[in-house]
Amino acid sequence: MEGPLKELTKLQKLVSDSSSSKGKSPSINDSLDSLLQSLQEVKDRLQHGTATDETLTILSKTVETRKKEVDDRQKEVYNALAKIGKALDKKFQTPLPTYSPLFSSPEANAALERTIALHFLRTGQFKTAETFIEESNVEIDLETRAQFKELHDIVTALRGQDIGPALEWAERNRSFLHKRSSPLEFLLHRSRYMRCLLSGPPDRGDSIAITYARTHFPPFYERHEPEIRRLMGCLLYMPFSRLQTSPYADLASPSLHLDLEPMFAKEYCASLGMSRQVPMRVIGDIGGGGALARIEKARNVMRERKGGWSQTEELPVSGWIEIPLPIENRYHSIFACPVSKEQSTDQNPPMMMGCGHVITKDSLQKLSKPAGRVKCPYCPVESQLSAALRVHF
Amino acid sequence: MSAGKLNTEGILLFEQPFARVPYENYRKVFRTSQKSIEKELGAVQTAANDIAERAKSSGSDTDEAIKAVDGMINRVENLKRKLASLHSSAGTPTISVMRERFKHLNSVEDMQSSNDPEFARWADTRLDRWLIDWSLRNSKEKTAKMIADDRGVERLVDIELFSDIRRIENALKQRSCTEALAWCSENKSALRKVKNTLEFDLRLQEYIELARAGKRLEAIAHSKKYLLPWQETHLPQIRQAAALLCFPPTTTCSPYKRLYDMSRWNTLIQAFRLAIYNLSTLPSEPLLHLAMYAGLASLKLPACYDTQTKNVDCPVCDSSIGKLAEEVPFSHHVNSTIVCRITGRIMDEDNTPLAFPNSGQVYSKEALVDMAVRNEGIVKDPQTGESCEFHALRRLFIS
Repeated sequence: MEGPLKELTKLQKLVSDSSSSKGKSPSINDSLDSLLQSLQEVKDRLQHGTATDETLTILSKTVETRKKEVDDRQKEVYNALAKIGKALDKKFQTPLPTYSPLFSSPEANAALERTIALHFLRTGQFKTAETFIEESNVEIDLETRAQFKELHDIVTALRGQDIGPALEWAERNRSFLHKRSSPLEFLLHRSRYMRCLLSGPPDRGDSIAITYARTHFPPFYERHEPEIRRLMGCLLYMPFSRLQTSPYADLASPSLHLDLEPMFAKEYCASLGMSRQVPMRVIGDIGGGGALARIEKARNVMRERKGGWSQTEELPVSGWIEIPLPIENRYHSIFACPVSKEQSTDQNPPMMMGCGHVITKDSLQKLSKPAGRVKCPYCPVESQLSAALRVHF
Repeated sequence: MSAGKLNTEGILLFEQPFARVPYENYRKVFRTSQKSIEKELGAVQTAANDIAERAKSSGSDTDEAIKAVDGMINRVENLKRKLASLHSSAGTPTISVMRERFKHLNSVEDMQSSNDPEFARWADTRLDRWLIDWSLRNSKEKTAKMIADDRGVERLVDIELFSDIRRIENALKQRSCTEALAWCSENKSALRKVKNTLEFDLRLQEYIELARAGKRLEAIAHSKKYLLPWQETHLPQIRQAAALLCFPPTTTCSPYKRLYDMSRWNTLIQAFRLAIYNLSTLPSEPLLHLAMYAGLASLKLPACYDTQTKNVDCPVCDSSIGKLAEEVPFSHHVNSTIVCRITGRIMDEDNTPLAFPNSGQVYSKEALVDMAVRNEGIVKDPQTGESCEFHALRRLFIS
């Protein structure tokens, strides 16, 4: 956006209030002022009887001159504006695509409204959520709303360095966390312990921290022994400035506390069967981060090739329309057969041959030789067709 | 995808209207100033020429001349006032909105990675903007204003433009073309440039209403004044309109029945919407829809609709979002990606896939090692319950 910004600055100088004339012609205000002055002078002369016919002819010329100045200045402004327009044209060479109405069926509309309402709740915009629910037909039951409220309250507390509510929740959901092997509860204690140590009263911080450790760490000893040892070990490197250059420097990092917020949100959402990321953000970031541009390119090619492409068809099958996804957005396994390049389906599932290489069933059948044997295309091993195992990802 | 690198081009594809709307607004401000200048200075010039002329030909009448000069002074002062107020009420604010938006786009161009916390904030704002755009288009003004207010993004969204649209649409709903026609005349040259004929459609509707009310003479006068200028491009419609006067509103003759049909008003509302979106470079679909369409098409897989393979973290697996995704195509992949159903992590050389020997259920080594360590070397498949020694698992090769 450097180009448009540069042109905008030029325009701004041209139209700014200050009479410091930045254009080739004087500012409109100046021209009008001097015109007023001329008019006033003529009026005075008329009143005092010192005006001649000449005076009025000159006045007519003066008006013409001033008017031309103003017009010139306007032309400069116009040109400056046009330059911004050109800079924008250059920046935005592709227009947004047109689609026939999306999500317009009553069912889709209801689903979208519900998704948006949940988004407001999920992101802690409770007042907006209320307003939105009033303005639309969506209904979100009170329990769900309360859950989001709790999530928000606990996260807000965490942000304010208060781990109390989060800890209370973790204790209540200990068995759930345990099943997921989540270290959340321990890490909450760790955060509080480090805070005692680093921000407690200067002379008593250590002893408060030790007391805290003695009270809260024992139940976690079995699963977090090495970390607890480190936590106690770092006492030797107090105060903070020394800790930062010690082998325990990582314990001085603020991420020890900051990471708790996303971790808590993830566990909380998992306990309610909700996704760990905010779904609309995920979809929007992918869609607004290059996916639409790619789909458009594919649509254009399809249009040229066969003169049409429906919005709901599968995306055109060729390498470049694969929309790259960041690792954190791969939620499902995809198996594309290395032989046929086709994606596996229930009818054409992935099969593991004796050697461990996996291809789809159709490819396997095509490769099979008499006597039910098959030679792996990727290694020298030959195995029995019947020994191939259907695998599930 | 290379470690979270931002696709600036893809991001900017959505932002043209964001930058254009204030630009177009400023052009309007400029046109208004131009009109005032032409009107006032033109009049001053005429007046000055007049008295100079008169002085030459018939000698000067001082009182007349003083009166004329006073009138000129008045006009110039009036112009100064108008320009100053236009500048402070519309010019300056529009320029600063333009600057803020250009800068907002500039900032995302400078960001390198989608993992940048700056980008997370930027993307949050973008989603807020999309939601506001969506709300405004779906007559949820209160929600739109609430988000704008709450998030402090008033200058990044076009609430005023949409309240204008709403005002004109409401007038059309009340069967009045006046407001829409005023908008057409404000944007005459722009509409002509894109060959938009909304103005003719509105005038035709006014004509039809006169016919409906039985005001034939007025209808003919209206046609002469407002429809005939379009004869080069719209002659057949003008002829048909003339013939309409022979048919009562209750006619069953289909072309004329269609003209009398009240649903034409809804068509006009649609046409007006498209025209104003077009001039503001806004897409006809909400930006949120376009982003979601593309996002869902990137994520959607048959696995999202199978209870066996649903993943709670996957947006499309959510039932509401899954409903929306019915309208988009499945994503297509030529490369395999195997995601562990226990850890959610991708399996690769360092975290190899292992299969249970009988059921063929595959998980990551990482997950199975963890399970084996806690179970004295025995692993159990969470899907089928099959259990075996860790070393009996079979290693897979995915190429």
